[in-house]
Amino acid sequence: MAEKLKAGTFVFEEPPGSPAKSVLYNEHLKLTDKSHIAEFAGYLMPLWYSSIAQEHSAVRQNAGIFDCTHMGALEVAGPNAESFLDASTTNNVKNLQIGSAQYSYLLDAAGNVLDDIIIYRREKEKFMVIVNASNEPKAKAYFNSLNAGKAVIDAQNPDRKITPAPVRDMRDTKSGPDCRVDIAIQGPSSTDILCKLADACVSSQIKNLKSFTFCQAKLAGIDCIISRTGYTGAKVCFELFVHPDNAAQLWNKLLTAGALPCGLGARDSLRVEAGLPLYGHELDGPFNISPFEAGYGWAVKLDKEFFIGKTAMEKISETFKMKVARIELSAEKGIRPVRQNDAVICDGICAGWVLSSAAAGTRQIALVYMDKENAIEEKSIDMYYLARSVSQITKGRKQKVEYGEKINGDIKGKIISRFEKF
Amino acid sequence: MIPKGLLYTKDHEWTKIEGDTATIGITDHAQNQLGELTFVELPDIGKEVKQKGELAVVESSKAASDVYSPVAGKVTEVNSQLASRPEIINDDCYGAGWICKIQITDKGSIENLIDASEYEIYLKGL
Repeated sequence: MAEKLKAGTFVFEEPPGSPAKSVLYNEHLKLTDKSHIAEFAGYLMPLWYSSIAQEHSAVRQNAGIFDCTHMGALEVAGPNAESFLDASTTNNVKNLQIGSAQYSYLLDAAGNVLDDIIIYRREKEKFMVIVNASNEPKAKAYFNSLNAGKAVIDAQNPDRKITPAPVRDMRDTKSGPDCRVDIAIQGPSSTDILCKLADACVSSQIKNLKSFTFCQAKLAGIDCIISRTGYTGAKVCFELFVHPDNAAQLWNKLLTAGALPCGLGARDSLRVEAGLPLYGHELDGPFNISPFEAGYGWAVKLDKEFFIGKTAMEKISETFKMKVARIELSAEKGIRPVRQNDAVICDGICAGWVLSSAAAGTRQIALVYMDKENAIEEKSIDMYYLARSVSQITKGRKQKVEYGEKINGDIKGKIISRFEKF
Repeated sequence: MIPKGLLYTKDHEWTKIEGDTATIGITDHAQNQLGELTFVELPDIGKEVKQKGELAVVESSKAASDVYSPVAGKVTEVNSQLASRPEIINDDCYGAGWICKIQITDKGSIENLIDASEYEIYLKGL
C-alpha cells in the first residue's frame, strides 16, 4: 500500500544474504529428498517429508514433530526486564507468573504490528521471547533501538522513555551457556511420547502442564524447557526448547518414540485449519491487519497505563470494519482450490478476500479478510477464483476484484467459527 | 527413473512423439515438487498452442503451476479422467497421468526439446 509513513513507524530493511541451514538440516536430508527443502524466512526448511496430507493427519490423530529451530529466541533479563517488556508489548507482562507464557504483540508507535510473539517468564527478572523467524532480525533491531533510546515510543509524548533491559539472542551459542532452539511436538499422542523420554517425576510434571505453562526438565537426559504451546490448534501440544547442540539428538529421540516428522506444508495447513494467524497474511501484510481485526483484541490490554502503539490501538478497537473470518469449502478432488486474493462474495457483492487457504482432510479452509457485518457464523458465501493463467485472463477472468464490486461466485462455502481446537 | 524415448523441456514437461501426434504430461520431478494434485485445468479440444504456450494448469493445495506445450500444434484429445481424479498424475505421471494429445503443426519445434539423458543432467544441476 502506497501510504505515507506515519509518525512512529519503525522501518527496518533486512540485509540481503543467502539462506541459512537450520541446526536440523542434516537430519532433514536423512528423512526427505533435497527437492522437498526450500527457502523460508531465510532458512532452508523441509516443505514435507512424506506428504502434507499424511503429516496433517498425524498431528490430528497421533503426533507430529516440527523443526522450529529457525524461530527467534531472545532473552530479556535484569531488574528492568518486566517494565521493558510491559511497555514494548501489548499484553500484561506484570501479571505474567513465573512458569507461564503469554501471546502478545510487538507494535511500533504508529500501531503497525512488527510481530506476534510469545513471552515466557522463566524467573522474576528473566524472560524468553519467541519471535517469528521472518521477523527475528527486525525484532532484535527494534529492541536494540528501544534500548538505545532511538525509536519513537509515543508520538503524543516524544519525551517518554523506556527503561533499557539487556536483550540476548538465545540461539547464538556465543551469547552464553543457556542457549535455546525450538522443536515442537503436537497432537494427541504427544504427552505419551514425551513421557517415554522422561522419568516418573518429569512425566508427572509434563502431564500437569496446563495450556501456556512450562517447566524446565530433562528428556532423554537433555535439558529442555517443556512448554504447553503450539501453532497447530492441537489441544495436546508442546514446544521443547533445547540447546542447539542437543537439538538433533532430541529430534531423533522423538522420532524413535513414535512422532512423525512434519514440514512447513503441514504446519501451514494445520494452523489455517485451526484459524491461527500467520504474520504477513492474517496480521500486518498488505491490509495492515491489526490484532483486533485478527480476532486477538484480548491480547491488547488497553487498560494498561502505557504500551507502544496504545493510542493507535484505542482508535482501531473502536473503528475497525473488517475482520478475519474462517470459511469452509469442499475439498473434493477436481475442485479448484481457492488461493490468496480470491474474492469472498456475499449476496453477489465482493465483501473481502482470501488471506490463506489449505486443504484439511475433506474440506478446504480459507482465512479471509472481510467486512465485519457479513462475517457471521453459518452464513453462506460464494468465492470467486482470480485468473491463474494468461489464457484465463484472455477468457475474461479477473485478476483483482474490488471491495463492493458486483460479481458472481464460482464455488459455495460457509463461514464457520473463527477458531477450532482438535 | 527418467523414461528413455520421451522428449523433455526444462519446464518439466514430457512428450512422446508418434507420427504427427505428441502426447504430453508433466515429469516425476514436477509432480513431486507440487505434491498431491487436487485440480487440473485441461485445455479445450481444438485449442491451438505455440511451443511454450500455456496448455494446462495443475494445482495442489499449496501451489498452482502452468503446463506449457512442448510443441506447437492443436489439441486433439484430453485425459478427461484427470478432471475428477487429478492424483493420477502423482501416481503415474508418464503413463495414465498424461494430460493431452496435440497434433503437431510445426515439426521444427521438436528440435528444441531435450532427451532423457540431457534432462537427467539438467535435473542434477538444479
